[in-house]
Amino acid sequence: MILTLAWMEWRRFMRTPLAWITLALILALLSWSFLGALESFNKLPAASRRLGLTHHLGLQLFGLASVLMLIITPILTLRAFSDPLRTGSYALFSSAPLTDIQILSGKFLGIFLYQLILVALPLGLSLSLWSGTPLDPGLLLSATLGLLLLSVGFTAIGLSFSALSDHPGVAAAGSYGVLLMLSLLDQHTERGSFLHWLAWPSHYLDLQMGLVRIHDLVYFLTLALFFLALAWQRLLRRRQG
Amino acid sequence: MTEILITRQLSRHFQPREVVQPLDLSLTRGDILGLLGPNGAGKSTILRMICGDLAPSGGSVQICGFDLLEQPREAKRRIGYLPERPPLHPDQRVDEFLYDCARLRGLSRATAIEARARARQQCDLVEVGQRLIRKLSKGYQQRVGLAQAILHDPEVVILDEPTDGLDPAQIRQVRRLIGQLAQHKAVLLSSHNLGEIQAVCNRVVILQQGRCVYQGSLTPSGQTTYRLVLEQQPRPERIAELPSLATVESHEPGVYRLTLANGKRPAEALSELMARDWGVSEFAAETHDLEHIFLQATSGEAA
Repeated sequence: MILTLAWMEWRRFMRTPLAWITLALILALLSWSFLGALESFNKLPAASRRLGLTHHLGLQLFGLASVLMLIITPILTLRAFSDPLRTGSYALFSSAPLTDIQILSGKFLGIFLYQLILVALPLGLSLSLWSGTPLDPGLLLSATLGLLLLSVGFTAIGLSFSALSDHPGVAAAGSYGVLLMLSLLDQHTERGSFLHWLAWPSHYLDLQMGLVRIHDLVYFLTLALFFLALAWQRLLRRRQG
Repeated sequence: MTEILITRQLSRHFQPREVVQPLDLSLTRGDILGLLGPNGAGKSTILRMICGDLAPSGGSVQICGFDLLEQPREAKRRIGYLPERPPLHPDQRVDEFLYDCARLRGLSRATAIEARARARQQCDLVEVGQRLIRKLSKGYQQRVGLAQAILHDPEVVILDEPTDGLDPAQIRQVRRLIGQLAQHKAVLLSSHNLGEIQAVCNRVVILQQGRCVYQGSLTPSGQTTYRLVLEQQPRPERIAELPSLATVESHEPGVYRLTLANGKRPAEALSELMARDWGVSEFAAETHDLEHIFLQATSGEAA
């Protein structure tokens, strides 16, 4: 049932112009960044190249992908719950033989399916160089894993705000607020403090650079589970009235 | 006959107000039960609780023997629900939407396609299958909402104000469809429109401020009342002095509603009235139509 709902949500979203315009913009921006990264790498004198091409791509291409992820996720999630709750079409799900967790999981997977395209694009662009230059596949996979975890965490944040408010605008504002706060904590808090640990950029940077550490994986999964639990609580409370 | 839907002491409060006071209902196949009451009487809240959209504060709901709280999936499989605003996805085409709804109700792909064809036929949607829902008229959108409620062939169909906003031809169509559905299912619908309930239902529950003030047939076999019109306009108390009468009330000058004392016949009452020389111009038994039941029930003289 979860997959049915996820597939249904994905198909519905792919029918909207927003899905295709967003995809086109993402592809254009990532391609432009990819070419820019190649050009800047080629311009560097061989002696001053402290990082390989894959590292260079990991920082530039996957860096831009993370910013795009931050921008598009609240747009993708804002209507997931707030719209059906506002218009009453949520009754379609709540009166179906589905639990709140199944509804939440289905909505989550539906958005995640779309985001997989964004996750796969930087990897695909990087792999297009495979035949011409040696690449570090481990680093590419690590950076892709980072992007994947980022999309899981960001989607959970977006869904929780969508479930919290019946108004899509409020849901988007809340998501952007939390995402920006978690971004800024990286620069404005002491390294090693709990607040610094809450910031996502340092955890993502490890993965961008090819470092897969348990503590980063735990961070992203905790982030996702915490906000999904918030969304679930909100759905439960709504049913309780 | 086996009951398909049973509610026991079903209640709901939104602090601090009790919006639905403990309610017992039971529906069998063939029943069309109407919830009648003014806006804010708790009709939609009751329907939302029965279809699992809202948790009750107290009591229980059983659908075909499955408790809605303990076995929600089994119970919900047997419910079709059309809320006051049809739960539609405006950007989808009718066929696609109905197919998705059928899949959400747990039907397999092949069964979902068959169910969609059947529901389209029943709700007269064959011609608009490829149209976007947001481009359909309100009447068609309501029919799409109705189709999604009956797609999975539920045992109980719950309809919240099903004909609200439809034109007379569309209302007739929906009523006919409800009648057809009730041949094999139990139908529970709400309305604030007396005529709607009278035209469609065989039983009625009248609600006022969350309280059930009447539950029973549309034409109860209660005490007969008589309508009396007099040319003179004596006070009701004077008429009530007649030995053959039990009660007399008047809501407009010269027009009275009477009940007879135990064992008295209408002829005796009429002869006593004639003897007073008040100028009887009309004396007739009243049929207890729904309006009368409703007015009696909601004015605190519940049957």
